[in-house]
Amino acid sequence: MKRILKSIATIACAATLLASCDKIDSNEYLVFSGAAGEWFDGNGVSDHSQRAIIEKYTGVRCVNCPTADVAINDALAQYGDKLIALAIHDSSSFTRPIGDNPRLSTEDGNTWSNYFGVRAAGEYPAGLISRTLNGSAWDLFTPTSGINNRVDNILNNDAQVAVAVDATSNDNAMTINVNLEFLQTVADKLTVTLLIMEDGLVVTQRQPDGSDDENYVHNHVLRDVITDIWGADIDCTGASGEKRVALFNYTPASSEWNLANCHIVAMVSKKDSREILNVAECHID
Amino acid sequence: MSNKAIKIIAAALAVQLQVSVFNTLQAQGILGGHVTGNVQFDGQLSRRDTVIGSSDVPEKLLSNARADILYTNGNFSAGLRYEAYLSPMLGFNSQYSGQGIANYFVSYKTQTFAVTAGHFYEQFGNGMTLRAYEDRYLGLDNAIRGIDVVYRPWNGVTLKGLIGQQRYYWDTRGLVRGVDAEVSLNDIVNSWTEAKTRLTLGGSFVSKYEGDETILSDISGYKLNLPQNVGAGSLRMDLAHGGFGLQAEYARKGQDPSIMNNYIYKTGEALWISASYSQKGLSANIQAKRVDNMGFKSVRSVSGEMLYINYTPSITKQHTYAFLSMYPYATQSTGEMGLQADFMYKFKKETLLGGKYGTDIHINGSLVTGLDTTVIGGKGTDGYTSTFFGTGDTYYGDLSLEVAKKLSSKVKLTGTYGYMVFNPIVEGHEGDLHHNHILVADLTWKINRKNVLRFEAEWMGSDSKYDANVDDKRAGDWIMGLVEYNFTSAWFVSVSDQYAYKDGIGNYYNISVGYTKNATRLQLGYGKQREGIICIGGVCRQVPASNGLTFSLTTSF
Repeated sequence: MKRILKSIATIACAATLLASCDKIDSNEYLVFSGAAGEWFDGNGVSDHSQRAIIEKYTGVRCVNCPTADVAINDALAQYGDKLIALAIHDSSSFTRPIGDNPRLSTEDGNTWSNYFGVRAAGEYPAGLISRTLNGSAWDLFTPTSGINNRVDNILNNDAQVAVAVDATSNDNAMTINVNLEFLQTVADKLTVTLLIMEDGLVVTQRQPDGSDDENYVHNHVLRDVITDIWGADIDCTGASGEKRVALFNYTPASSEWNLANCHIVAMVSKKDSREILNVAECHID
Repeated sequence: MSNKAIKIIAAALAVQLQVSVFNTLQAQGILGGHVTGNVQFDGQLSRRDTVIGSSDVPEKLLSNARADILYTNGNFSAGLRYEAYLSPMLGFNSQYSGQGIANYFVSYKTQTFAVTAGHFYEQFGNGMTLRAYEDRYLGLDNAIRGIDVVYRPWNGVTLKGLIGQQRYYWDTRGLVRGVDAEVSLNDIVNSWTEAKTRLTLGGSFVSKYEGDETILSDISGYKLNLPQNVGAGSLRMDLAHGGFGLQAEYARKGQDPSIMNNYIYKTGEALWISASYSQKGLSANIQAKRVDNMGFKSVRSVSGEMLYINYTPSITKQHTYAFLSMYPYATQSTGEMGLQADFMYKFKKETLLGGKYGTDIHINGSLVTGLDTTVIGGKGTDGYTSTFFGTGDTYYGDLSLEVAKKLSSKVKLTGTYGYMVFNPIVEGHEGDLHHNHILVADLTWKINRKNVLRFEAEWMGSDSKYDANVDDKRAGDWIMGLVEYNFTSAWFVSVSDQYAYKDGIGNYYNISVGYTKNATRLQLGYGKQREGIICIGGVCRQVPASNGLTFSLTTSF
């Protein structure tokens, strides 16, 4: 019996030394591929759609802006998820709140407004679709009309890069996944710009007849640019077929935003020219 | 002269040189010890044949050569194996291409202690947690390069421990550690020493280490959180009482996402049970096994047969006749249930069924199915659940009856009937079940002491039909004939032909000539080899079609 005990003890000791198996809990089977903002090989994008984004520079004291909202809403209804709208309140006098309403301006929006020449032109509303050029100048226009032909010019082309974005929020800590799939070879250096916008903001808006509508609902309002204002560099070769993915972390800058009404927008742009190649939008889960 | 031709000549000269040197070493003796070894050279020339699907070989000649040399001096031994694949023969992985010393070791053994450094082969129990072995005909070599220690502290107790890396063609991969203990209770319990019942218990634990790597999940942006240390353990028993025997082993494996299981985290388990009875003229055996996600490799991302740490015992009969072995069963380490029964009986001489010389019958049946599983997710999940006794699709079924009878003092006839059900899914592609009936007649006529003539006739009827899209050249109904003549005790010549006469394609003729003298054997063959699969012990490799000359030389010293 002594021999048996010795044998068992020997085996037990050896087994203990080797029994360093890793056990992974089921909620930890998956981990993020790397540090936030780093790019890795991804699994591609199932929706290869080309999309366009219309940036509307607007203000609560701009009397023609509600008319532009109607035109943009019509376009959104027509193009469905192929068109994304973004309302940018810069720091012009048109954005000064009426009464004691909150100001919808953002510093990021003001920077873009200055860069694209909206402030200098001083004409509101101003529209810019996917940051395209008209000759050597930005194709700014009054978005009460002329939306469709500009959108068609973009959507009639096959996407060079397919984009998908998804976002989840847990205790105010947001993780945003951006997936790219190159459908054509792209030689330019690219960036991705992430922003958060909010729907359903009831803020007084001056109407075309000069009256103030206290129950005016503002949608697609730019709240914050999550990445650098000109985007985060995309680490890629740009070769056709390449699939890249990156995760970004974000904590909403204000607790007053209703995340249930917020959307995340991802814009893939040429780094040098700022032109937007494609764009995607998602709810926050 | 081309570089390839120079390589071929150099390889032939190298083999010749090795034989000469080894003979000299043996004649002289080395430091009081002695040298033994063996040399094998297999060569192949194949050319294009559009019917059977063979291709021209750019090198013209393909060859696998090896020379094993073993030096022993008392308790000490050392050995090496030189291998040359210039270029590998058809069906062998091209990663073998090259030549060099593939295996070397030094070993010291006493009655109670043995240690081996270098390459070694080892098996714990039935191999369900660890089996490092080599099968040259499968092109498989899972040798471990490291340290292997065996210690017998008392009579009846054997302890083993090892650590090392596994051979991967011309490289080594992974890190494997293992311990095994086996205790014969009859040897260590004094009162059991003379007992008729003998009981041996054993257990093993094996773990592998593999560093982290990026395996992307199906969810974008996320990769798998991989276990870097994966363990497998087993318990086993061997009980014998007179002619009865009962062996069993149960093994479990920790989370081991790998390319074999589509990177799921389900733990693995396997159970193997064998019960047998034998007495003079009769033996019976029944085996059962259940394997669930038990593939265990030292590198998670490598598919194919290399780098397996463990082995799942085969539960189907390994047939030798051509048509019975045309659809061999490949063990599904990802999951299967199997049952096999084997019965042999010898009718005695001078009985109704035994006749003048006696009659041997051999009945074997096996059935293997998949598991009853419920899928719960893909990569990066637990994958599926399974019920322990539930069965899934039929993978393989086999029933054979073999009757062997001496018709006279010089003539022996063996007749075999086999029925087989085969699911192509075990070879990785969808398709209907094949149902095959096979008849074999094998007649051996011993003309005199030095001359033996053998005839073999086979027929296979199958419900499978050749489909160019699937291109399984085994499909259809087949007949085969073989004549083999052994003369002067040294020479043999055989001629055979397999022909798909219905619903199939191909006519595979072969002629072989062989010569054996002492420990040297030379064989030349010419003919066509059908594309298919060969399996040994449930481990298989693809055999591509070939059309041409084959030759082999084996010698030992």
